[in-house]
Amino acid sequence: MNGMTFDAIAARITQVCEEAMVVRSENGQPFVRVPAAALPRVAALLRRDPALLCDALMDLTGYDRLKYPGNEASPANDAIAVVYLLFSQQHHHRVMLEVQAPRALCAVPTVSGLWPAALYFEREVFDLLGVQFVGHPSLERILCPDDWVGHPLRKDYLYPAQYHGVPHLREGQHFDGAPRRQGDPEPAPTPAPTKKGHP
Amino acid sequence: MTIEAITLGGERMQLNMGPHHPATHGVLRIRVESDGEIVSSCIPDHGYLHRSIEKIGECIEWPMFVPYTDRVDYVCAMNANLAYCVAVEKLLNTDPATAVVVPRRAECIRVLVAELNRISSHLIAVGAMAMDVGAYTPFLHGIAQREHVNDIFEKLCGQRLTYNYVTVGGVAFDLHETASEEIASFLDQFEKEMVRFNKLITTNTIFRDRCANLAVVTAAEAIAWGLVGPNLRGSGVDWDLRRDEPYGLYGELGVRVPKGERYAGRKGAVGDCYDRYIVRLLEIQESVRLCREVLKLLPPAAAKANDPIGGHQADVSKVLKRPPKGFVHCRTEAPRGEMGYFLVSDGTKVPYRVRVRTGSFSAAGIFHKVMRGIFLADVVAVIGSFDVVVPEIDR
Amino acid sequence: MTGLGYAVDAVAVWLSGSPAPGWIAVTVAVLLVWVAPLLAIIFPVAALGQIVERKVAAAIQRRHGPNSASLEGPLRFGFRVLLCFLPRATQDRAFQRFLKLPVVRSLLPILQKLGIGQLAADGIKMLGKEDIVPRGADGAVFRLAPYLALTGAFLPFCVVPFAHHLVMLEVSVGALYVIAVSGVTVLALLMAGWGSGNKFSMLGGMRAVAQLVSYEIPVGLAVAGVVLWSGTMDLHAIVAQQYRPGVFTFVGWNLVQSPFLAALAGVFFLAGLAECQRTPFDMAEAESELVSGFNTEYSGLRWGLFALAEYTEMLLIGALFATLFLGGYQSPIGEQWIVGLHPLLATLLHLGIFVVKFLASLFLMVWIRWTLPRYRVDQVMRLCWLTLVPICLVAVFGLAVQLVLAGGTEAGTAYGRLAALPRPALGVLGHLLGWAVPVLLLAVLVRIARRRHGGMHPALRQLTGGGS
Repeated sequence: MNGMTFDAIAARITQVCEEAMVVRSENGQPFVRVPAAALPRVAALLRRDPALLCDALMDLTGYDRLKYPGNEASPANDAIAVVYLLFSQQHHHRVMLEVQAPRALCAVPTVSGLWPAALYFEREVFDLLGVQFVGHPSLERILCPDDWVGHPLRKDYLYPAQYHGVPHLREGQHFDGAPRRQGDPEPAPTPAPTKKGHP
Repeated sequence: MTIEAITLGGERMQLNMGPHHPATHGVLRIRVESDGEIVSSCIPDHGYLHRSIEKIGECIEWPMFVPYTDRVDYVCAMNANLAYCVAVEKLLNTDPATAVVVPRRAECIRVLVAELNRISSHLIAVGAMAMDVGAYTPFLHGIAQREHVNDIFEKLCGQRLTYNYVTVGGVAFDLHETASEEIASFLDQFEKEMVRFNKLITTNTIFRDRCANLAVVTAAEAIAWGLVGPNLRGSGVDWDLRRDEPYGLYGELGVRVPKGERYAGRKGAVGDCYDRYIVRLLEIQESVRLCREVLKLLPPAAAKANDPIGGHQADVSKVLKRPPKGFVHCRTEAPRGEMGYFLVSDGTKVPYRVRVRTGSFSAAGIFHKVMRGIFLADVVAVIGSFDVVVPEIDR
Repeated sequence: MTGLGYAVDAVAVWLSGSPAPGWIAVTVAVLLVWVAPLLAIIFPVAALGQIVERKVAAAIQRRHGPNSASLEGPLRFGFRVLLCFLPRATQDRAFQRFLKLPVVRSLLPILQKLGIGQLAADGIKMLGKEDIVPRGADGAVFRLAPYLALTGAFLPFCVVPFAHHLVMLEVSVGALYVIAVSGVTVLALLMAGWGSGNKFSMLGGMRAVAQLVSYEIPVGLAVAGVVLWSGTMDLHAIVAQQYRPGVFTFVGWNLVQSPFLAALAGVFFLAGLAECQRTPFDMAEAESELVSGFNTEYSGLRWGLFALAEYTEMLLIGALFATLFLGGYQSPIGEQWIVGLHPLLATLLHLGIFVVKFLASLFLMVWIRWTLPRYRVDQVMRLCWLTLVPICLVAVFGLAVQLVLAGGTEAGTAYGRLAALPRPALGVLGHLLGWAVPVLLLAVLVRIARRRHGGMHPALRQLTGGGS
C-alpha cells in the first residue's frame, strides 16, 4: 500500500506518452489530458504496471465542452471530453485522465478489455454524448430507447418534436429545446393555456 | 403476467422477464435464453426508468438538485442526498473563499439519518431476496421495522420515502424534541427483532442451500467489473469509504467493515449470494452501533441555525451563486455502494455537469456474466443478492 | 343386508330399531355415512382452508389478514332469491329485520373479522370471471383437468374412517386403494399442463408431475411400513389396532410405538406436503418465479377448483396421517369410556376428535408454508431420492427387525365388529429397547456428521444472538 503522488503518476504517464499534458483545473484539481490515439498505451500502463496497478475504474464519464468557458490551460472548444477516474485498490492512489474527442470525429479507443466495468460506462457515454468507442463488443444505447435520435447530454441537443406519435409539447406550448444558461436571451413567454379545464 | 416465449433453435427458448415483475426489483427487463431449466444467456434491458436526472442537473440551480437525488435511489434517499451535498461541499472547499464548514450537530444528524436509512435500505434488500427465494414472512417483518424508521423520519422532515432533508451545508431542519429517545428505543427493540429475523431465515438450511455457491464473484472480478459496496465486500475485498476515505463524522467513529468469508461453510464460496446477504446483515448491526455512538456525541442545539457547533445548517446561499470554477469528484458510501459525483462547475449558479455514478449500474453490468449456467429459479435470487434498484441504474 | 357396506347397515338397523330396515332408514343411513362426512366436513373445511391459510399467514407475518369484507351483500342477495316472489321493498324490510336479530347482530361482525366475508367475496368474484380458454388449448383436456384434480383429491376419502360407523367403503385394501387412487391427481396435473397449449404450463406441469411421481415412493413406503407393523391394509383395522384400554390410549398410537414408525410419520408428512405442492416444495407453482406453472392459463372458477383440490389434498394427508399414525378417530386419553357411551354420542365425539386431528395437520402445513423458503427443483428431487427414500428403507428394515425380535404376537383387543387383531408382542422392556437403541445410534451419527461439517461461522452465531 504505497500510494504514489499525482505528480509521480503523471511522470510515468508522460514517459510512455509524450503528448500527455498535466493540466490543473481552475479550482486546482489535477488531471492528465491524453490524446485519443495514446489512450490504449496509457491505460495499459496504468492497469498493468506493478507500481501503478489501477485496477478499479471508479467512473468513466464525459461532458460536452461546447459551452464551457475555457482558460489558457484548457481553451474553449467544442470537443466531447471523456473522463476516466482510476483508482488502485492495492496502492490506494488515484488519477484522472481526460480524452477530448472532436465533435466531427467523435471516436475514442475502448478500455473495456482492461476494465470490464467500462462495458456499461462506455455504452452510457455513447448513448448520452455520442462518443464512439472503437473496439467495444456491444456498443448500443443503454438508457434511451434503441431508436432514439440524438445524444441528450450534448449542449446542442434538440428535443424531438414527437416520439412514435407522442408529441413533446402540448398544444400552445413553446420551448426552445435547450436549457438556458446565464447570458442566454429571454425566451418568448409561454401563452396562457385556454380554459378548457385541467390539461 | 411476464411470460412471452419464442422458441429458438432446438430446445432453447427466450423468456422475457418483463418490466413488470412480481418481484420487487422495479422496472427491469431481462431477456433470458434457456432450455427450460438452465439459463444459457441473460441480457438485461435498461432505460425504463430513465428520467434524465443528469440533464435536469444542468438546468436547475445547485441546491435545487437535492430532491432529484432522492429519486436517484428512493430506498435510501438520505444517503443519496448526503452524497450530493458532500460533493458540492467538497467543490466549495476547493477555494478557501467559498469554503463551507458544516456545523458539528449537523454532521452528527447526517450520520444518524444516513445510518438509519442504511438499516431500512438493507432490510428491503435482505427481505426482498428472502421473498424471491420463497419466504414471504421475513420481508414483512423487515417492512414493519422500516415503518418505525419512517415514523421517525416523518416527524423529522415530513416525508416517509423521499426526504429532501440533507442540504448543502447541513440538514434542513433540526431534530425534533423526542428524536433521540425515539431513535434509542427503536434501536433497542430493533436489535431483538433482528435476532428473531436471523433465526427465522438467515440460518435456515433451505435458504442457505438456495444461496450458497451461487453466482460466485471473486475479489479480482469484483474490482474489475466495478462492483462496490456490499457486493464488493461480499467478494472478500476489505474496502469501505466510511473507513478508508472518511467524510463527515465517520473519521472519528471508526467503522468496522464486514466482508465475505464463506459464511455458508463447506457448501459455499467467498463471493456467493449468501456472502453478500450476510455482509448486509452485519452492516445493519454496525449501523446500529454507529447510531448509538453518534447519539452520545450529539452536541446540544444552538439558537442560531448556522452556529458552528450546535447549528443545523451553514449559510451557503451566497456561495452557491458563485461556486468555484472547475470540477470535483467525490464518492460516499451509500447502502448500494459508492455513489460517486463528478461535478463540473462553470462558476455560475447552475451546474455545468452533474454525473451520478451508482453501485447498481455496475452490478447490472455483471449480470450477463454471472447468470450463465444457473437454474432458471436462481435468476431472481441472484438479482436479489446484488440488490439492484432500477432508479439507480437508469437515473 | 343392504349391500352398501357394514356401516350403512349398522346405522340403518340402529335407526329403524329392527333387523330389517326400511328404505327410509337406509336412505338416512346413506346420507349420514356417505354424504355427511363429505359435504359437512370436507367440503366446507376445504373451502375454509383459504381462510385458515390467510389468517394464519397474517398472524405469522404480524398483520391482521382479511377482516373487512362484509357479509351483508351475499346475505341480502340470498334474501332476494328466497323471497323473489315478494316486492323488493318487502324483501329489504325482511332483510333489515333479519339484521336486527340479536343473534345476527352479535355474530355477523365476528364472522366478518374472521374473514368469512372475504371467502364469500372471493367465491363470488371467481364465479363472475370471464371463462377464458386459450386459443391453442386442447379444449376437452383443458376443461376436464380441474374436475379430475378434484376427483383425485376426494376419492381417497371413501376409505378413511371418520368414526366407528362412518366409513364409506369397507374394503380390506384401504391403504392400497389410497395410494392407487391418488394417481388421478397426477393425471389431472399433466392434463392441465398439456391442455393449456402454453410452453410454460407444459414445463410447469411436467415438473409438477415429476415431483408427484417421485414423492409417491416415500408415501408408499411409509404406508407400507405401517401396514407391515399392523399386519393389515384395512385402514379401519389399523385404527382399531391402535386402541389400548385404560387412561393413556395414546401409547397405542403408531407414532409412539417405535422410532422407525415415528421416522416414517415424519417422512409421510413431508412427502405429503410435496404431494400437495406446498412450500417448501411448491416449485411448480411458485409465484415469484418466471413461470406460474401448470395453472397459468386457468382463471376464475376453474382455478378455484384447483385451489379447492389442493386444500382437499392437504386435508387428505392430514386425515391419513391421523389414521395411520395418530390412532384415527380415537381419543388420546380414556378411549375405553368413550366406547361405552351411547353410539350416537360416541360417533359425534369420535368425529370431533378426528376433525381436530386433521385440522391440526392443516395448521401445521400452513405454518410450515409461511415460515420456510422453497427448494429448487433439483433440490426437491435430491431430497426425495437421496434422503427420504433411504430413510424409509432403513425404517422399514428396522421395523422388520423389531417384528422378528418381538417373537410372537399378542392378541389385540378391539371393539365392535373388528375381531381381536394380532399385535407384535413387545412388552415394556421391548418398547424401551426398541426406542433407546435406534435413538442412540442416530445421536452418534448426528454428532459425527456435525463434526465433519465444521459448525456455523462465528458471525452467523453472533447474528442469531448466540453471544459475541
